[in-house]
Amino acid sequence: MRQGGKTGRTATEGPGLHRRDFLRMTGFAIGATATVGCSRGKEREVVPYLVAPEEVVPGRAYWYATVCGACPAGCGALAKALDGRPVKLEGNPGHPISGGGLCAIGQASVLSLYDSQRLRAPLRKRERSDWLSVDTELAAEFDRLASEGGRVRFLTDSTLGPSERAAIERFLSRYSDSRLVSYDPLSLSAIADSHEQTHGRRVLPRYRLERARVIVSIGADFLGGWVSPVEHTRAYQAGRRLDESTKTPFSHHIQLESRMTLTGSNADRRIPIPPGSAAMILAQLADRVARHTGAIPPWSTSPSAPLDGSTIEEIVRRLLGAHDHHALVLCGENDVVAQRLTNYINELLGAYGSGSNMGTIDLHQPSRQRVGSDAELLELWRELQDGTVDALLVRGVNPVFDLPFGEALAPLLDDLGLVVSFADRIDETAQHAHFVCPEPHFLESWGDSEAILGIAALRQPVLRVLGHTRPLLESIATWSGLFASAREQIRAHWRSMVFPRAKGSADFEASWNKALHDGWIDVGADEEQDSRFDAAAVTTPDPSEEAAPGEFIAELTPSSTLFDGRHAHNPWLLELPDPIAKTTWDNFASIAVSTARALGIEDGDEIQIHDDAGTTLSLPALVQPGQHARTVAIPLGWGRAGTERFADVGPQWLEGKPTVDAGGRVGTNAAPLITAHSAGLSFRARRVKIERTGRKRELACTQRHHTLTVPAGLARAGHEKRPIVREMTLENLRHASHAASDHGAHGHPSLYADHPKSPHHWGMVIDLSRCTGCSSCVVSCQAENNIPVVGRDEVSRSREMHWMRIDRYYSGEGENVDAVHMPMLCQHCDNAPCENVCPVQATVQSAEGLNQQVYNRCVGTRYCANNCPYKVRRFNWFDYPREDRLQNLVLNPDVTVRSRGVMEKCSLCVQRIQETKAAAKIGGRAIEDGQIIPACAQSCPAGAIVFGDMNDPKSRLSLLKRDPRHYTVLEELGIKPVVGYLAKVRNRTERAGSNERA
Amino acid sequence: MMKARLFSTLLLLGIVLAGASLTRSVSKVPLVGIDRGYQPVQPIAYSHRLHAGELAIPCLYCHGGAEKSRRAGIPSASICMNCHRFVSATIGAIREEDARAQEEKRNPKTIVSAELAKLYSAQGLDGELQPSAEHAVTPIAWKRVHSIPDFVAFDHRPHVAAEIECQSCHGAIETMDRVRQEATLSMGWCVQCHREMTGRTEAGKPVDPPLDCATCHY
Repeated sequence: MRQGGKTGRTATEGPGLHRRDFLRMTGFAIGATATVGCSRGKEREVVPYLVAPEEVVPGRAYWYATVCGACPAGCGALAKALDGRPVKLEGNPGHPISGGGLCAIGQASVLSLYDSQRLRAPLRKRERSDWLSVDTELAAEFDRLASEGGRVRFLTDSTLGPSERAAIERFLSRYSDSRLVSYDPLSLSAIADSHEQTHGRRVLPRYRLERARVIVSIGADFLGGWVSPVEHTRAYQAGRRLDESTKTPFSHHIQLESRMTLTGSNADRRIPIPPGSAAMILAQLADRVARHTGAIPPWSTSPSAPLDGSTIEEIVRRLLGAHDHHALVLCGENDVVAQRLTNYINELLGAYGSGSNMGTIDLHQPSRQRVGSDAELLELWRELQDGTVDALLVRGVNPVFDLPFGEALAPLLDDLGLVVSFADRIDETAQHAHFVCPEPHFLESWGDSEAILGIAALRQPVLRVLGHTRPLLESIATWSGLFASAREQIRAHWRSMVFPRAKGSADFEASWNKALHDGWIDVGADEEQDSRFDAAAVTTPDPSEEAAPGEFIAELTPSSTLFDGRHAHNPWLLELPDPIAKTTWDNFASIAVSTARALGIEDGDEIQIHDDAGTTLSLPALVQPGQHARTVAIPLGWGRAGTERFADVGPQWLEGKPTVDAGGRVGTNAAPLITAHSAGLSFRARRVKIERTGRKRELACTQRHHTLTVPAGLARAGHEKRPIVREMTLENLRHASHAASDHGAHGHPSLYADHPKSPHHWGMVIDLSRCTGCSSCVVSCQAENNIPVVGRDEVSRSREMHWMRIDRYYSGEGENVDAVHMPMLCQHCDNAPCENVCPVQATVQSAEGLNQQVYNRCVGTRYCANNCPYKVRRFNWFDYPREDRLQNLVLNPDVTVRSRGVMEKCSLCVQRIQETKAAAKIGGRAIEDGQIIPACAQSCPAGAIVFGDMNDPKSRLSLLKRDPRHYTVLEELGIKPVVGYLAKVRNRTERAGSNERA
Repeated sequence: MMKARLFSTLLLLGIVLAGASLTRSVSKVPLVGIDRGYQPVQPIAYSHRLHAGELAIPCLYCHGGAEKSRRAGIPSASICMNCHRFVSATIGAIREEDARAQEEKRNPKTIVSAELAKLYSAQGLDGELQPSAEHAVTPIAWKRVHSIPDFVAFDHRPHVAAEIECQSCHGAIETMDRVRQEATLSMGWCVQCHREMTGRTEAGKPVDPPLDCATCHY
């Protein structure tokens, strides 16, 4: 703006900028931009290999079989390596444990590889050091301990592979007083302990749910956070097939539980029980089963009866009536008395099998998935308190965080002569370690696993180690003065110990290569061991004293997303809605509906939980239908140190709120409420009182987001409830020609001619009977399609970006509710309402029936999202992708990273369709049915999602589209979605619940 | 005021001139993002005219990714070394050295041309093709000529499968000493071919090129 002179204007004349000046400047700016824009931007470089590795073609994906290391379950995984780095993990379809499924946690563990906070070099007294000086000092220290008779303890979890176990035992053999102590933060020690007492062998049996015709689970969340969720989900659904061709029996599943678990939400019958009553119920059940089978129970007086007569008789009738005696009772309590009773019932039911009759419980090839021992842990705790330990090595666990006495443990570690941690970051325990010797991520290193006895699996590196981490095997070999690489050590162990167990094969190299290629080999079980049942060990529980009014039992549950807390630094998992509660970025204390009403507590009210011992926790409350009135359930694993880093995750803008409170952590650690008593850890024993603090801590809960329900007042009379999820009973399905769909009822005429779809017409079917709601598809989709993490504040504004969500519907009231999980994604309607309203044709129908979203055309009007009846479209309100170069290595180069102002949604993994087509074209083949598998379908442990070509009448998809259970959601709109659903079937006699609500 | 009027007049004149040039020939005004004619100087003066033209080495010998992967790829130095382990200079230069050696009654020296010296040096090799500490191993950073935006997923494989000549998109590469971008690589240019080439390709392969957005945009 010009100043002074006759023609000049002074500042008093008006606002600082005048219209003409503004126009001039704008014109200049546009001109300048156009001129600059015409010239080519920065020169781009292509840097090829100097010496290309054999067979590596840039841009082409290679898959390597490995073992998932996210938890001790040992699922087989395939790692997709693209241009030298893994970008995706998927289930290994040939693996005998997981059979092609991979859970959400496993899917997300590829992101942890690119975590910038992982340690890249060893630490000495919390200072960065180097391996040479650490090794020199530690070797001398260990030599001194060996010569002076030092007391050395090695603390681990159940994840140890056979080679690692052997190496640790070899390492410990140098010391006269040494022990390997393994425990699991989410302990199931009582199952193994009880088998030691009743069967004479300390084993965790392998539960063969696929053989069970009747499953009674008392608090065991076997589809969720129990022993091996992927394996159990797959087996459970294998026993519940509804294919027309095979008239296989359909198992009956009764769940008795005091909170709403994922397993309970899938049960045929769900019975809410008071917390802590499992042992009493098992005693009652055992007594009844014994009476019916004519066995003499090892107790004289009948135990008290917490369940009413008709309910228990119904359960007993079901159990004894099971086809071929294939019944199974499971107990989720980490309580030896309850587990012994469980073993007793299973023995009476013939579940352990005999002779040729394969039972539902396998002791022949037992599991090693969670065999840690609470007794060993508590023994170590006593030693630490007495000061009779000189050196402690900690691997895979975080005792300061995950144990109830963690706070008391920390100063003891400081006083100890030597503490070595193998943690990948400075976690709560590593803070008190003298040396931290970080291990590489499981995708960076060699390893092995034998999660089920006889299934020996190999883990192989998919990329070179980032930084200077070193595997445990190499570290302890170095300190013993016998350095060998991890691969050499594993090969040596396999050659001498593992391979000879495989009978029949003679060539080691061949079976090593087979194990590398397939991911596993069968090495057979141990020789038959005699395991006679000893009924004398079984006792009835002491009647638990009644809780005073106003008292609750704190039930500490595994986190559905963070496991025991080891994944608390993974943003994909932090933003994954809990399968039941649908909360993100926080844990909570869930209370029953009736309790909430009585105490006047609402969702998001902060409540204080305190017990007699003076432990106090503050958590946001969550009102949970299906929960028993006396339970307060709190997920473990939250509130890890270092999660302060997530404060600024998501967009930073004027109204944005940080993801964690100032200086706080993501969630609250509930481990102090675990009870450690002489027999072990108990997760359901602490009596607590709760009170409102008066503060609010709003949970970022996705349940009410993107709802399909019509707002009250807008619905036409009689159409307030839309039949979105459909349920039927097995009886209905088998004995009546009952169709889920109401085609014909909505035969809308169309103004438009049908568009023939050729050569393919892609479609999908999701079986609601098979879907358990585990959410592995959600993370798989996120990994495949570069879906950003948006942070807590954005989630609470309904701006989560997941292309696939799982809607959870309850029917019923209070404690007695049924739940159905419905994966919801773009339905790719043939008459898509989103397409008609786009002013720039950024979303259009493809010749093959895909509803395409063209990012480069989209101008962000968001009309399409408003007009989508399924609410599956997601808008980029901000530039969500973050400038984290390391983390961005996880991005899938086959999918565009979307920028701000662009709409996005499920593409039915069109990049996979295109890849398969290109490969088929160059190979001169046709695309076969089942060759294209979208990310969600690939990872599903239950096999609930089927993708295929509707133009091929013989495809599996076409078969399912003709199933009487098939229906499409909101078919009354006449928009012809190609994604269909198969109605939920429950094996019960009464009518299925029909009045679902969101 | 005078100055402002002059400025406005000049601006108007500019707009008129720009409009005139636009109407004269649209193709000659570079549009945003169109790099037709781009011909950067490469770190090594590799000649496609010599290799693909004179020596008639098949394109896929070096750019084998075109039938295995989405990307044709730039060959690794190890591919170059398949021949250049033995051929280190032009035949003329080698004959000249041979003649001179005979004249001077000595063994001929290894002759390395200036451009190939760069190839050897990148791999840490000296003039005798022996590993040498003087030459650090440094990957060769070629300048990318053909580049499409990140929201376009182009796949070489279907085009190779349909036996489309490489030259259809990359121009008469066998005549270029330094590679130049011949096509606009714009969407209109892609779609034009996808629209017109129905039935059979020039090579006689039956094709039905898709026109769906999701063919390239996902």
